[in-house]
Amino acid sequence: MDLYGKMATQDNKQKENADQNFDYMFKLLIIGNSSVGKTSFLFRYADDTFTSAFVSTVGIDFKVKTAYKNDKQIKLQIWDTAGQERYRTITTAYYRGAMGFILMYDITNEESFAAVQDWATQIKTYSWDNAQVILAANKCDMEEERIVSVDSGRLLAEQLGFEFFETSAKDNINVKQTFERLVDIICDKMSDTLEADPSVATGGPTSRLTDNPMPPQQSDCGC
Amino acid sequence: MNQADLQNESKTSIFRTIWCKPNKVASLNLIRLFGDCIQAASSRTKDYLLFRDPESKFHPSPSTLSEIFLMTYIQRSSQLNLTNIFNCTAMTPEQRILLGAHWVWAVLDHPSKNPRIQIAVQVFHLQEREEENLEELHLDVYSKIMHMAGMEVVNGTQAERMVGFCSSIGRDCYALFLFFGRKNDEGNIYGLLSNNLQAAVGKCVRIDQTFIEHFFKGAKCFVTPSGMLQALVGKEGDDPLTMLVKFT
Repeated sequence: MDLYGKMATQDNKQKENADQNFDYMFKLLIIGNSSVGKTSFLFRYADDTFTSAFVSTVGIDFKVKTAYKNDKQIKLQIWDTAGQERYRTITTAYYRGAMGFILMYDITNEESFAAVQDWATQIKTYSWDNAQVILAANKCDMEEERIVSVDSGRLLAEQLGFEFFETSAKDNINVKQTFERLVDIICDKMSDTLEADPSVATGGPTSRLTDNPMPPQQSDCGC
Repeated sequence: MNQADLQNESKTSIFRTIWCKPNKVASLNLIRLFGDCIQAASSRTKDYLLFRDPESKFHPSPSTLSEIFLMTYIQRSSQLNLTNIFNCTAMTPEQRILLGAHWVWAVLDHPSKNPRIQIAVQVFHLQEREEENLEELHLDVYSKIMHMAGMEVVNGTQAERMVGFCSSIGRDCYALFLFFGRKNDEGNIYGLLSNNLQAAVGKCVRIDQTFIEHFFKGAKCFVTPSGMLQALVGKEGDDPLTMLVKFT
């Protein structure tokens, strides 16, 4: 019976999610206003799928995706947060220990762009100082309905000290690049921190990098 | 009151009537359609709950029964175009572990379509009552996920996680525990709905299937699913509300 098969697959997936076999583990969050395309962005990256049907995320969800950098296996635990205000208590609880954020707005939605500053403040309030952030201007396939210019997005990113990508989950534009860049800058930051203060180097090659206030660093950060 | 005041009052009253009517109609429509969908889902699930293989070899699993209920509900609500005003979101396997809910119903505000009232649903099965290790398995997976996320692991049951999730949203988010069959009544579906179970958390009780079953002891009066939704839609203020519901 199909249903049994489906449940078995789901069970396996849960085991895979909890699997501890990796060189590094990065906790990432995708945040931003409701309906900017956070879930679609994650589905495109993790499963290479896209559906135009809008299903509002309830609370919080996550997916695990393994990335590879310099022969190192980096497990990305990517948290997809609900954008609606009513879930704010539960979503901000998950900011703790996050090493990177993708802060997303929708280029066809002025309100979502205006809210970027507030989201950046949320990161400062609930996360640790060294968390890396990329500003993603999603739905760039909808050029005819564009309200927020590329320049406005780039300027805001500069002001906030974030890197910037225009993306489309629908047309698969800059999705993988956004995640890969986020992983790169997290690794760079880790190396910088190690050089500045080698005493923070703790843990073995498979230790996780997610604890607060400062994730334990690798003694040999080769990622 | 002079003539002008009377005219103004009359106009205000007319406008109030015009504005109020569609909402009331919408609410009545919603309650009727929801009742219809639940009727379809419950009666189909009941058929399977009462199924007995003459050779006693085949037993539909608890998760299959939940899926039959949910599939029938979703199919019927799509046919009736209910989803624009009242939606149903099935949780992913990850959300089921994190939030404890199997699915979440929501009364949507118009035109924002933001949830106005939510009902998070968890299903209990007679078969699972004795299976303590299932709860341990859930806790084990949950602990690993939270540990990887660098977050504090709060030991608790799936039911407690759902109660915590609801209370983090507010009093307009209700926890509904559905019982697919109860002892000595294996074919019927019952539910406990509450926005006040958080009051029991941290008071030396473990909120689980056994704890929630206590609410049914000696109970004779149950509301219908339509009555349940009517109470939620018509409720004003943040008062606590707990009720027993019979779905079949």
